[in-house]
Amino acid sequence: MSKPNPNSPVAVIRAVAKAMWITFLNLFRKPVTVHYPDQERKYPDRYRGLLALVYEKDTGEEACIGCRLCEYVCPPAVIKVEMLKSEKRNYAKSFSLELYACEFCELCVQVCPTDAIVMMKSFDLATADRREMLLDKDRLHAIGLQYQQSWATGNLLRAMQGPPKMARPEEAHAAKPAGSEA
Amino acid sequence: MNPWLYSAISGFIVLNAVIGMVTYVTLLERKFAARMQSRIGPYRVGPHGLLQPIADALKLMMKEDIVPRLADRRVFNLAPIVFLVPCMLIFATIPFAPGLGVADLNIGLLFFLAVSSMEIVGLFMAGWGSNNKYALLSAMRAVNQIISYDLPFIFAALVPVLLAGSLKLSDIAAAQSGLWFVFYPVIGQLAFLAFVVSTLAAENRVPFDILEAESELVAGFRVEYSGMKFALIQLGEYAHVIGSSFLGAILFLGAWAGPGPEWLGPLWMLLKAMFLFLLITWVRWSFVRIRVDQILTLSWKVLMPATLLLLVSTAIVVVWRAGV
Repeated sequence: MSKPNPNSPVAVIRAVAKAMWITFLNLFRKPVTVHYPDQERKYPDRYRGLLALVYEKDTGEEACIGCRLCEYVCPPAVIKVEMLKSEKRNYAKSFSLELYACEFCELCVQVCPTDAIVMMKSFDLATADRREMLLDKDRLHAIGLQYQQSWATGNLLRAMQGPPKMARPEEAHAAKPAGSEA
Repeated sequence: MNPWLYSAISGFIVLNAVIGMVTYVTLLERKFAARMQSRIGPYRVGPHGLLQPIADALKLMMKEDIVPRLADRRVFNLAPIVFLVPCMLIFATIPFAPGLGVADLNIGLLFFLAVSSMEIVGLFMAGWGSNNKYALLSAMRAVNQIISYDLPFIFAALVPVLLAGSLKLSDIAAAQSGLWFVFYPVIGQLAFLAFVVSTLAAENRVPFDILEAESELVAGFRVEYSGMKFALIQLGEYAHVIGSSFLGAILFLGAWAGPGPEWLGPLWMLLKAMFLFLLITWVRWSFVRIRVDQILTLSWKVLMPATLLLLVSTAIVVVWRAGV
């Protein structure tokens, strides 16, 4: 039995009817549109959004120790850090991030030894002036307080990627996505 | 009443009603198309986007009016008007209810068909005057296509004329008080199908939209137009589609016949015309564009002989039934 001719009138009419039936069914499906400024979509747990600096939870100090690891690892080299030497620990004297050139690769978050630089669950920084995207230390801290923090921090990511260890109770607890220790 | 005064006033009312309808039909089409693609469509301007057409019209009025330096200025500026006038004139003979129309000519259908194919003059002027290769290509394709599809369109439209025995649109509508011509056994359905297909082609709607083929010719013959002239061309195109929808409603769907009291007639007419318009839109969002040679093959090798045969067999049926 030969294959039916696709140009035969019957085949054409069937194809036409099928195409119209599909669009007709789609007419009664719920639209997938999300009314963005009114409703926000649910962000994924490990969302790579705006970058921010955070404070240490227990002491309230700045978590950044100015180690400049993020500056070295940054592929587009948008991070500039100056270290401020101090007695007990070091601080970042200045920390600037050119968000307009950032490629949101999350490498800075992965290398941060103190979980100081993290990503936020937001992309909402549209502006008419590019200079507003040059974030300094105060601005980064402000962003850190303003939005919800994404799951990933340096220590969690390294724990995930390192060789498997003997599971001890507290480490198994720390690797869970819900527990963020910032 | 003075017939001159009556014509002037009713013409004025119909013209404005058509313009108002066109603006809101664009919203209807956009909403309908959006739902077919699982979108919402215009939503932000006014409740559920109800003020969107007004915003669009205001935007088009405020846009800069650009004339290309090498364009043929007179032809370029005249083209939108030459295009718009026939598209508006087709509403002159359409009776919206018994006795409610500008001019119910005894050759109403002939007038409609003659005037509606006049739009091609304005279209070709626009394409030629723009001095743009895409516009010219599009205009030539349009002439090619509209000449090819006017014949099947006329043949399909003549079937109800034969069945009703009159060219007067109100007579054709009145002849359907018993049985709508679309329900006439076999002949009605075939003629309606041919009418819809050739309407799609004559209006240059997808899948026959080679003249504005978005991906190759940008916007076709209106690519160089902006602002109010662009708005006039769009107005003309939509008015032509709506006019054809009304014609289809009169010829096949029984015009103002429908349940309910007589004063609901115009509403039924409008509903049927909008049904046809949505049918055209539905087809638009269901198919891909077909090639030039396929379009012409469909017209000359399939639709032409088929509608001609249909017309002859309709004539035989009518004579046979009258004889018995």
